Amino acid sequence: MKKILLISLAMVFALAPGVWAGKAFPSRNITAAVVWGAGGGTDTCVRIITAEMQQFLGVNINVINKTGGVAGSIGMSHAFGQKHDGYTLCGLSESNVTAGVQGGWDKKFDVWDTFIVGGSPDVLSVTADSPYKTIQDLIEAAKKDPKSIKAAASGAGSIHHLNLLAVENGSGAKFNFIPYKGSAPAQNAAMTGEVNVVITSLAEQQQLLRGGKLRALGMLIPNSFDVADLGTIPSAFDAYPGLSKYLPISQAIGFAVPADVPADVKAVLVDAFKKGMATEKVKTWAKENYYQLSGKTGAESKAVFDALESNFAWTLWDLGAATIDPASLGIPKP
Amino acid sequence: MVLLFERLGSFFDIVLGLATHPESLAILFGSVLLGIIFGAMPGLTSTLGVALLTALTYSMDTNLAMVCLLSIYVGGTYGGSYASILINIPGTAASAATALDGYPLACKGEGGRAIGLTTTASAIGTIISMLFVVSISPIISRFALQFTSFEFFLLAFFGILISGTLTSPDLVIKGWIAGFLGLFLACIGRDQLQFYPRFTYGFAELESGIEVVPVLIGAFGIPQIIGVLKDKVHIGKAKELQRILPEFGTVLKNIPAIVRSALIGVGIGSVPGIGEDIAGWVSYGTAKNTSKHPETFGKGELQGVIASETANNACVGGAMIPLLNLGIPGSPPAAMLLGALMLHGVTPGPMITFEHPTFILEVAAILLLASVAMWITGMVLAKQVVKVLKIPTQIFMPIIGMLCIIGSYSLGLNIFNLYLMLPVGIICYFLTEMGYPIAPLVIGVILGPMADENIRRALMVSQGSFMPVFTRPVSLILFLIIVWTIASQLPWYKRKIAQLKQSFFKKK
Repeated sequence: MKKILLISLAMVFALAPGVWAGKAFPSRNITAAVVWGAGGGTDTCVRIITAEMQQFLGVNINVINKTGGVAGSIGMSHAFGQKHDGYTLCGLSESNVTAGVQGGWDKKFDVWDTFIVGGSPDVLSVTADSPYKTIQDLIEAAKKDPKSIKAAASGAGSIHHLNLLAVENGSGAKFNFIPYKGSAPAQNAAMTGEVNVVITSLAEQQQLLRGGKLRALGMLIPNSFDVADLGTIPSAFDAYPGLSKYLPISQAIGFAVPADVPADVKAVLVDAFKKGMATEKVKTWAKENYYQLSGKTGAESKAVFDALESNFAWTLWDLGAATIDPASLGIPKP
Repeated sequence: MVLLFERLGSFFDIVLGLATHPESLAILFGSVLLGIIFGAMPGLTSTLGVALLTALTYSMDTNLAMVCLLSIYVGGTYGGSYASILINIPGTAASAATALDGYPLACKGEGGRAIGLTTTASAIGTIISMLFVVSISPIISRFALQFTSFEFFLLAFFGILISGTLTSPDLVIKGWIAGFLGLFLACIGRDQLQFYPRFTYGFAELESGIEVVPVLIGAFGIPQIIGVLKDKVHIGKAKELQRILPEFGTVLKNIPAIVRSALIGVGIGSVPGIGEDIAGWVSYGTAKNTSKHPETFGKGELQGVIASETANNACVGGAMIPLLNLGIPGSPPAAMLLGALMLHGVTPGPMITFEHPTFILEVAAILLLASVAMWITGMVLAKQVVKVLKIPTQIFMPIIGMLCIIGSYSLGLNIFNLYLMLPVGIICYFLTEMGYPIAPLVIGVILGPMADENIRRALMVSQGSFMPVFTRPVSLILFLIIVWTIASQLPWYKRKIAQLKQSFFKKK
């Protein structure tokens, strides 16, 4: 019995191409494990970019979803637990940087080497019948009567909540923050009139803005943004330059490989990624879906994720929503 | 008027187009069947089915992907009734109310008849809901915008309360206690608003909260298995050669009940975030309360089965209304559907009628075809499925036990779910023995997060005031219904009513 097992094992190894020969990367299919659910922003993004990358790599990239745990910790642990050979990518987003301080992940985020596809910028909007026509109207009203204006965003410590906090810090206004379980319910609440202000991403809000159900007051990025049949949404920075100290806090959706993957393998992935990002298909998709493409890799994307990690981790710690002291993970204060 | 006819014309064009296209027909029947299997297996739900197929349909054309996903949704919602009726373990939470009368019917040997009738009622329910999607969905989605945090809380609370009221064999308070146990279980994990860990005791597995599926399986499955094996209950006294196809007269007689249940389903489905499970209960409750013979409910009343099954299928169409018009999913599977649509580059919302002019009609056409496919598949399957009752319980129950374990584990392939399912099941067995109904506990786990999250948010919005409950029309109505539901169970209220009746008759 043992003999048969040994022989068959040997056969498997002998037949598996590239295992012994040390052929150039990639010699077999690559798996991308997305830590968020199918159909979500991260999932869509990873599927789009990997579909383009496989043309340049010459092998398939199979996308699977490994969800659950704390801030996607199950998917990250799974991908990190595979061989660090570049054959397993981990599809993730900025929100995963909180897994550490929430006790789902015992490492600092820089054990990953990230590839950022991009993200949709956040926009601050009010209900369609709101008396506030410009961002100044709103901020001045909120300053006059602090905490009287209700602002919706997804749960405490989410990226949209961080954007709201940054608006408060940068403008001096104080809102009554009402958390929701995601962007869709937050937008719904704005439409029902339960809240006055809502912050979600432009991709999530564009239909309601263009349908006249909500009114955009300002983009939370340094530049304005053109939206089809709506015109230009100005940047909130124009009226409140102080915001540039705290913003933008943008989504960073993409994928990652463990940082200790061999440099030549990484180089192949970076090359395919850059080529994929430059394709017409990715560009069209981004434009149609109101995404801003980034294309950052290596040291550039590390800087982005370091900043996000420190911002998220310390904000959660200050809110009392973190279980692990960010200092103990070596995360510097923002 | 001309516009309406034009709409109808293009609607039938789409229906014909899909029905004569071999590939879409194959996908239609395949997905409905897959959905029924998902629904009938305890542990696999239509939400999971839609989620799994979302990834598979990525490379398909948008239309075909929608055929696939909507069919599995319709099939999955209907399939839950099989397990409820035949083994008293609801295949999905949506069909928990069906077990109340379906299982007694099966014990009487009328399982086939019950399935035949629910299949027809489910199909009619889906079609009625489809009519609403085509005709007045913008009006309904405006009604759905009346629901803010207070209304969501009251609705969730009402759902738990009504399932407690309806399922208690002796004292109603026992049903409520079970409901509140479920509410407590729902509190475990990170709270959704401030992300604070509650009752997690440092277990990472508890952080994301108690999963509904293992609780559902454990709570219904294990007591049933122990009970049947212990008492040697013979379920399968099924008559030979029983008729599956319901008599036309029976269907006709129940049309008012079917329409009423379908309306309830559409209404509840169109409210964002709540779905088939609560629709089934509310419809069952309404049927029982308006019935001339409420005492027959729970003992094998066909109307009870019709009420919950029609409503949960009508909910599918209802859930499409806010999804298509506002981009807000009306139920958990609809949330998965939203993701799938985004993947195909369709963003539902107010602009959808401009960007994809025929999309809403396409969805309606698929719903119509899916309900027809479901009816045909159901009629063919029912005859075979009823045969499982002929399997001796000594063999059948261990198989069910295996399925329970696989069902719990398959959810995220997480071994922790088994550690959750077994104790919950054993506790529930003892609760059943003491006369506590189990359904409210499960409904509590399902609706608990909604109740908890919304009452806290409502108070944040109103800055601690409960006044909006009385000043907002919808919440006032819901509040009064809740008060009446509780009061009608109190002894002094019953006495007062009896007195009133007596004095009324005396005067005569």
